[in-house]
Amino acid sequence: MIWRRRRALDDLDEDIREHLARETDENIARGLSPEAADAAARRAFGSVTRIKEDTRAVWVPIWADQLLQDARYALRLVRRSPGFASLVVATLALGIGLTTAVFSVVNAVLLRPLAYRDGSRLIWIVTYDDRVPLIEVVSAPDFVAFHDHASTLERVVAFDVSMERVTARDGVVATRVATVSSDFWDLAGATPALGRLPSTNEDAIVLSHAFFESAFNGNATLVGRMVTVNDRQVLLAGVLPRTFRPQLPAPAAVSQLPPGEVEAYHATTIQPPSPTDLGVRLFYVIARTRPGVTVAQVKSELETLRADVQRAYAKLPSAPRLRVTPFADVLVGQARRPLLILFGCVLLVLTIACVNVASLQLARASARRKEVAVRAAIGAGRGRVLRQFVVENLLLASAGGIVGLLVARVAVSSMVQLLPYAIPRLTETTIDARVLTFATIASVVTALACGIAPAAALWRMNVQDALKDGTRMTTAPPRALRARRALVTVELALASVLVVAAILLVKSLWRITAYPAGFDPEHVLTLKVQMSGPAYRTPKRKRAYLDEVLQRAGTVPGVHATGVSSAAVARTRLIRQDGRPMSILDRPIVRLNVTSAGYAAAIGMRIVEGRWMTDAEPSAVFVINEALAHRYFPGENPIGRRLLLPNGPDPARAIPVPIVGMVADLRIADLESAIEPELFLDYRHGNPFAMTVIVRTTGDPLHVAPTVRAKLAAIDPTQALFQVKRLDTALIDSIAPRRMTLTLLTVFAGSALLLGVIGIYGVMAYSVAQRTQEIGVRMALGATRQAVLMMIMTQGIRLTAAGVAVGAVSAAGTSRVLASLLYDIQPTDGASFAVACVGVAATAIAACSLPAMAASLVDPVVALRSE
Amino acid sequence: MSTEERLELLQGTLDLLIMQSLRRGPAHGHTIMQAIERRSGSVLHVEQGSLYPALHRLIKRGWISFEHGTSENNRRAKYYKLTAKGLKQLAVETSNWEKLAGAIARVLRPA
Repeated sequence: MIWRRRRALDDLDEDIREHLARETDENIARGLSPEAADAAARRAFGSVTRIKEDTRAVWVPIWADQLLQDARYALRLVRRSPGFASLVVATLALGIGLTTAVFSVVNAVLLRPLAYRDGSRLIWIVTYDDRVPLIEVVSAPDFVAFHDHASTLERVVAFDVSMERVTARDGVVATRVATVSSDFWDLAGATPALGRLPSTNEDAIVLSHAFFESAFNGNATLVGRMVTVNDRQVLLAGVLPRTFRPQLPAPAAVSQLPPGEVEAYHATTIQPPSPTDLGVRLFYVIARTRPGVTVAQVKSELETLRADVQRAYAKLPSAPRLRVTPFADVLVGQARRPLLILFGCVLLVLTIACVNVASLQLARASARRKEVAVRAAIGAGRGRVLRQFVVENLLLASAGGIVGLLVARVAVSSMVQLLPYAIPRLTETTIDARVLTFATIASVVTALACGIAPAAALWRMNVQDALKDGTRMTTAPPRALRARRALVTVELALASVLVVAAILLVKSLWRITAYPAGFDPEHVLTLKVQMSGPAYRTPKRKRAYLDEVLQRAGTVPGVHATGVSSAAVARTRLIRQDGRPMSILDRPIVRLNVTSAGYAAAIGMRIVEGRWMTDAEPSAVFVINEALAHRYFPGENPIGRRLLLPNGPDPARAIPVPIVGMVADLRIADLESAIEPELFLDYRHGNPFAMTVIVRTTGDPLHVAPTVRAKLAAIDPTQALFQVKRLDTALIDSIAPRRMTLTLLTVFAGSALLLGVIGIYGVMAYSVAQRTQEIGVRMALGATRQAVLMMIMTQGIRLTAAGVAVGAVSAAGTSRVLASLLYDIQPTDGASFAVACVGVAATAIAACSLPAMAASLVDPVVALRSE
Repeated sequence: MSTEERLELLQGTLDLLIMQSLRRGPAHGHTIMQAIERRSGSVLHVEQGSLYPALHRLIKRGWISFEHGTSENNRRAKYYKLTAKGLKQLAVETSNWEKLAGAIARVLRPA
C-alpha cells in the first residue's frame, strides 16, 4: 500500500506538467501565441498546488500529513536552538531514566511472579518462641507430620543452607549448599540441564550452572561420577540450567551466612527422630497449598498436627508458636516499603524535571509569541497551534525517553553490580516489556504535563497585541513570569523535601557506624573455620585445631592480637545458682559466645567491671555483657555470681561457673540488630563449632590476609577457610539494604537539587535579560551597581525562601513515612532539617548571584542605546 | 462550442467515464479528459481539478493502473490503463448507471 502510494504520487508533478504541455500544444495548434497558449492552459487547469494536495489526500489522511509537517517544524526548531533542546532532553532523560530504573527494580522484586511454579500458592512455615528472637525454624518431627498428614498442603519441602567443603578442580572450596528434601524439585519446577535429579533416598548433589562452570570448568564427563563433599564421596547427579535460580531465604540470624546464591543442592530424606532422642534437626519449610486453600485454613490444620507431635515428643523442647506467611512476603516483604518510598521519591524527581521543562518552555513561549501570532493571523486555528506544541513536546519527550532508557540501563546494572543482595530478587532486574511500556507512558505523560503551562499561556494570548509589540519585546508578559516563579518555588520545595529525606538517612547511617572507642574494624581481619568432618567430631579435636589457629595466626608479622568467637549464634538457658527453682523450660535464653583470651583485645572490647578471661583459666569462667547484667542482675553486682553451665542432659551434673567480668555492649555482626544479652565462655571449657577467627593488625588487614590464610590452611588442608574479610567490609555488608536506599535517595536528592538550581538560575537570568533596559534607566538615574545587585539578589532570596519554606513544611508533614528507614533519630530531626534547608537555600542563592552580577555589570549606555 | 451548453458532471460519474474511456487502451490524463469531452459531443465538461484525484482514487481501489511511456512528441508520460478488476467493475457500474438513468428517465417522462 505504502509502496503503491509512493509510486503513484512520485511522478504527479511530471504528470501534471505533461498535461499542461499537451493543452498548450493544442492551444498553439488552435492559433494562439506560445505565451498565450501556456497561460490559457494554466487557467483552464486551475491551482496546481491545490490539485496536488487533493490528489495526495486520496492516499494520505490530512491529519497524518499535518502531523508530519508539525514534526518537521519541531525538528527545525530543535536545530535552530540546540541548546534549549538538549537541556530539555537531558532534564527529561534524567527524570525518566531514574524513574524507569526504580520501576524496573519494583517490577522485578514486587510485580513479577516468583520463579516457582504456582508461586502464588507457596507459603513459608515457621515455629518460634517469643523469648528467643530471630530463631524461626521447623523441627524434624513437625516437618514429618506436616509432610505426611497435612491435607491442605500439596507439597511440603524442608531445606537448610550451609557452607560445605566441596573438593573442586583447584582444591577445596567453601560452597553454599542447600540441603533439600525430596519434594523440592517438584516445588521449584526444576529440570536438569545435564544428568538427572536425585531420586528419593539417594545421597547425591546437583550443581547450579554457575558453580559447575566455575568449580568444575563445566566438564560434562563428571556428571554421574562421585565428588568429595566434606570428605565424603557423593554422587554428582546433575547440573541445573542457567535459568534455575530459586530464591531460598536463609535468615542470617541462624545461618550466619552472607547473602548469595545457592551453588549446590544436596538431596536428603528426613526421618522423624525416635521419641527418646533429644537432638533435633531444624529446617526451613516451604509448602505449596492445594488450590483454593487459605493461609488461615493451613494454619489451623498445622496447629492440630503440632498438638499430636507435642504429645508424642513430650521431652523435646518445642517452639510454642506457629506462623504461616505467603512466601512472596517472606522473600521481599522487607524490601517492599523502602522500594515504594524510593519510587515515591523518584516520582518527585520526575515532577521536578517536568516543572523545569515547563518553566523553560514558558520562557520560550513568551519569546515565540510573535511566531505564534503570525501563524494565527494567517489562518492557523488555536487547535492547530496547540497541536504543534504537543507534537514538539512529544518529540522532545521521546528523545528524553530514549536517552532515559539508556540512563536506566546504566543505573540498574551499576546497582546490581554494587549491591547485588541489598534487595532480594534485585539480580533479576531487567528492562522487559513492562518496563518499556512504563517508560513510554512516563514519556507521553511527561510531554503532556510539560506542555500544559506554555499551551495555556499561548491559548490566552491576544494575537493583535502580540503582533503590535515592537520588534523586540520590552517587558515579559507578567503573567508568564509569575507562572515561572511559581514553578520554581514548587521545584525548590520538592528538592528540599528530597534533600531532607537524604540527610535523615545519611545521619542514620552515621549513627549506625558510630563505632565505640577501641572498636576499630578497619584493622581487623575476620575469617571463618567450620571444623567439619569425621576428624572433628569431639570438642577435644576442635579445641586442638583452634589452639593451632591462634598460635599460628599470632606469629604472622603485623598481627598484634588474635582471638576466636562463635560464628553461628548459639544460645543457652541462663540458670542462676542462687536463683529460685523453676522449670528448665521457663529459664531465660541468652546468647552463648564461645571465645578466647585474645578476643577482647583483638576485637576491641571495653571491660566495664572485673576482668576478661585469660589463657590459663584452671576452670570455666563467664564474662557477661552489659545488656545481660541490666536484664538479669538489675541493681546488683553480677561479678562473683555463679551461673550453671549445662553438662549433658542431666541438670544435676551442671557446673557452677563464676562471672568474672562485664564488657560493654558491642555490635560486631549485624549493625542494625538489637544488642542481645550475651555470655562469653573460653573455648577450652566450652564446645566450639563453626568459629570466626579475629586478627587485629597494625596495618591494612588485607596485606596480612594471604599469609594468615596460608598458615591456617597448612594446619589441615581439608578445612576450607571462608569469608576472609576486613571487619569493616563485613559490617558495611550487613547494612547493604540501607546503603542501597541511601545511595539512591542521595542520587535523587542531588538530581532534584541540580534541577531546582537550573530552574531558579533560568528564571533569574531571564528576568535580568528582560529588565536590561530598566536597569540601564535605573543606573542612568543614579542607582549604584551595588543597589542593582541587591535588587536582583533580594528577588532571588525571596523566591528561594518561599521554596525552601514550603519544602520544609511539606517534609515535616511527610517524613513520617521514612520512620522505618531511620535509625536512632526522629523523622522530624531538627538538625537534619536545618542542614537540608540551609544547604538548598545556599545553593539556590549562589545560582541567583550569577544573574545578579550580570545585572550589576550592565552598561547603562549600551542598555539604553539598544532601544 | 459555447460554454453555456456544457454540463458539469454528476457526482460519482467521473470515475465511470474515466474507466469507460480507458476501455479502448491506455491513455494519458489529458487524453482521457479530451476523450470524455469529445465523445459527449462537448456537452460534458471535466473539471481538471477533479481529474487527478479521481485517477488516484481509482488506482487506490485497484481498478486502474498505470505505466510509463513516451508521447508522440517524445516526452515521458504516464499512461493509465484499465485492470481486469476495473473491467469487471466497469460492467457492474455501467449496468447500475443504465438502471438509474432509465429509472430517472421514466420518472421524468410526462405521463
